[in-house]
Parts: sequence; C-alpha cells; structure tokens
Amino acid sequence: MTLTYLKKHTAYARIAMAQGRRERAELYGRVVFFAVILGVFSSLWRAVGEAGLPASGDPRALVWYLAATEWIMLSAPQIHLEIQEAIRRGDVVYRLGHPASYVMAEFAAGLGATALRMPFLGLTAFGCAFAFTRWTPPLSAIALFIPFAVLAAALLVALYLWIGLLAFWLQDVSPVFWVTQKLMFVFGGLMLPLAMYPSAMQKAAAFTPFPVMLFAPASIVLGTGLVRPVILARDLALWGGVMALVVQWTYRRAAAGLTVNGG
Amino acid sequence: MTRWVNTLRFARALVTTNLKAALALRGAFVMQALFMVLNNFTFFVFWWVLMRRTPTLRGWRLADIQVLFGVVAAGYGLTVTLAGGVRYLGQAIEDGALDTLLTQPKPVLLHALGLRLQPSGFGDVLSGLVFILWSGQVSWRTAPAVALAIAASALACAACGIVFFSLAFWVGRVETAARQLWELLLTFSLYPEPLFGGALRLALFTVLPAGFVGYLPASVVREPSIQNMSMLATGAVLYFTLAVLVFDAGLRRYASGSRFTTFG
Repeated sequence: MTLTYLKKHTAYARIAMAQGRRERAELYGRVVFFAVILGVFSSLWRAVGEAGLPASGDPRALVWYLAATEWIMLSAPQIHLEIQEAIRRGDVVYRLGHPASYVMAEFAAGLGATALRMPFLGLTAFGCAFAFTRWTPPLSAIALFIPFAVLAAALLVALYLWIGLLAFWLQDVSPVFWVTQKLMFVFGGLMLPLAMYPSAMQKAAAFTPFPVMLFAPASIVLGTGLVRPVILARDLALWGGVMALVVQWTYRRAAAGLTVNGG
Repeated sequence: MTRWVNTLRFARALVTTNLKAALALRGAFVMQALFMVLNNFTFFVFWWVLMRRTPTLRGWRLADIQVLFGVVAAGYGLTVTLAGGVRYLGQAIEDGALDTLLTQPKPVLLHALGLRLQPSGFGDVLSGLVFILWSGQVSWRTAPAVALAIAASALACAACGIVFFSLAFWVGRVETAARQLWELLLTFSLYPEPLFGGALRLALFTVLPAGFVGYLPASVVREPSIQNMSMLATGAVLYFTLAVLVFDAGLRRYASGSRFTTFG
C-alpha cells in the first residue's frame, strides 16, 4: 500500500467530508433524533428503576451506555443506499474504469462522512447523557472508549459497504439492511447491554461481529470491567480482517459477473 | 354523491394498479414483506428481554406493549400500502411532479398518495396483526375495535406525513427534515405513554400526535369503550381533515416546475 494509493483514496474521504458539510440537514436531524432517543430511554430506565426490580445496572450508566452505542451507530453513514443506487442506475460501470479501487473509494468516502459526524454526534451524545443523568462516568473510561468507538464505526461502515454490494444481485438491499440492523440492535446490545440477554443469545452473538461494534466498546463506559481493551482491540482487528476479506470476495464475484451493455 | 362514488372507484383503481405492479415482481414482493416481518420481530426482542426482568412498567405489561407495537406496525403498514406516495410528496412538490396530477380530473392529494405502494407495508400489517393476536388481549368481540384502532392509527400517520411533507410548498427543500419528523412520530408512538410527562405528553397529542398513532388506538384495543373509540375516531378524522386543508392551502401556492417527465 503505497503513499500514492493512500493519497488517492484519502481524496474520496475529503470529498465526502466536503459534501457532508454542505448537506447539514441530515446531520442536524440525527442530532435531534439522538437527543430524543436519549430522553425517551432516560425516562424508560427511570421507570425501570421505580419498578424496584434490578436491571443489572445503574439507570444513569445505562443512559450513558445507550449514548455510547448510538454514537457509533448514528456516526456511520448508510452508504449501502448510494451503492445500491449507483448499481441500479448503472453508474457503477463508470467507476470500474477509474484508477482507484471502487470498494476502497466507497470505504474511504464512508470514513470521511463518519469523521465529519463523529465530533458533532459525540458532543450530542455526552452532552445529552449528562443533561439527563447529571452524572458522568470516569473521564478515563470515556477517553479509553473513544478510539474503540472510532474503530467500531469504521467496521460498521465496512458492513454497510458489503450490504450495498449485494445490490449487484438483489437490486434492492433494504430488506437485508433492515434485518442486519435489527440483529445488530439485539446481538450488538444497542439498547440493553448484552449481559442482560439470555445466555443462549449471548452465545449466539459471539459468532457475529455485532458485539465488538457496539456492546464491547460501550461497556468500557459502564466501567464493569467486563471487557478488556486488549481483547477488544484483538477482536476488532480479527473482525476487521474478516470483513475486508468478505467485502473483497463479494466485489470480485460481482465484478466478474457484471454484464455491461452499451458503449 | 356521484362525485364521491367516482372518487372511491378511482382510489380502488389506484390501489389495484399498485398491487398488480408490486406483484409483478413476486420474489421481491415476498422478500420485502417477509424481511419486514423478521425486522419487526427482531426489534421486539428488546421489549421481551426487558419485560422478563421488569414485568410491569408504570402499569404496562408485555401484553400491553405487544398491542401498542402491533397497532403502530399495522397502522404504519396500512399507510405505506394504501398511501405509499406520502413519503415522496415533498420530493414531488419540490420537483414539480404535481404538474401532471393537476391536469387530471381527480383529487390531486388522493392521486399523489396513491401513486406508490410499499411492499414492506404488507409485512408491517401482518406482523402488527400477529402482535395484537399474540398479546391475548383481543377476541372476536373486540375485532371491530381492533379494526378501528388500526384504521385510526393509519389515518393519523398519513395525516402527519401529509402535513410534514407539504411544508415543501412553503419552505422548499424539506425532504430530509420531513422524513426525520415522521420517523420521530413513529419513535414516540412505539413507547408507552406513561413514560412521558407534562408538556411532552401534551405535545404528543397535539403538534406531534404520536398519541393518536400509538397510545390511544392501543387503549381502544385493550379497553374498548364508546368514549375511547369516539375520541380516537374524532381525533384521527380531525387530523386528516387538517392535513387535507394544509395540502390544499399549499397547492394554491404551488408553481409549475415546467418539468418534462414520463407518467404512467
């Protein structure tokens, strides 16, 4: 991987960031949605606490946990939609001839959009979590969580990229996205830490990349010691490698089977 | 009277045409509907896990949440099935795509709403009905209440969509904001109303009527009473009437986009 190769693909990231800066409505909408979701869940956890039954966690910590997982989820742009449209319209054909890998270009663009969103949504996440709970986890926990959140968001971008590539066969990948997203909610422990799920579900989740995307990084904020940073780094690297192989394989199969009509 | 009959016939023709178009790609239709069912059931796992640990939440049990979920899913599914064009109304206004509809001798709003059908809506309706039946809170005697609840939820949902996307008449490019407002409406409607208090609860029955999309219809299913049913029906009809008035007011401001397009 030469410097030229990196510069080439970094340009796609910069373009995506510039586009994102102009199209702010989407970002503002996510900020509002984020604040609303944290408000709803802070009410929910208060109600759970009032019911007097253990929810395996301090309600305030659970709000911060949700802020952490939602930060990762909402920061990753849904690039599968753009890839799907490019494939449907046939625009992808023009990209194949470019002196840049289509897959790497899309991944770089996704990372660029993520880099633009993360600071805004991070401020929203932690600002709202503090406003609703009047409490913060140890700053060292938040500081340790942030780099893992960035890596997890990058892995999520790769997942969306793979879903988008399925449009070569499916044309409409929305159903795949819906189910993948909901599986991520469940097996990734988006709203409830995975430790609160039945053990059978926890075991099943271990075979998916979703826990390392959401539950594991956000658990650092909970401060339970359930997740060791070294193990998490290893798991992120492993799943990153798996995702890279899957994406490349899918793209090669798609490009090999592509029939280009017309001049 | 003849005019109303003709309008109903036209609405039926729109739905039939959309259905035929959707069923033409049977595989894609089934996949969308099936995956939406899967999507809804997977999402509900969160409530199942939570309510195993907390059997009641401010008076709400798992069965109550099943009814709420079911009503909202079925109502939303009905909206995007019968009036799927609502999600594209803002874009149509902005792009000047209403020009073609204005030349037709049929109500513009009805035509715009009925232009599309979302196959996943069938999955929403199906999963909604399963949730309601699975809750154990309904019987054959309460079937009319269930039908009213779903219809009212769909009417309120469609009304909100019409109002949000019609903002394009005044504000212009409003697609993203309107879509996110609509998603906010659905988000609030999926959570038990006792979680919200004070000013927010008032807002959820007025400016963002998630209460008419979720809570009130669910109450009608759980405890059908003449009072509840009347309040629900009145609220849903009022909101829809307001939505039609907003659209008509916006249409008077509409300027042609001089857009060339194919239609049909």
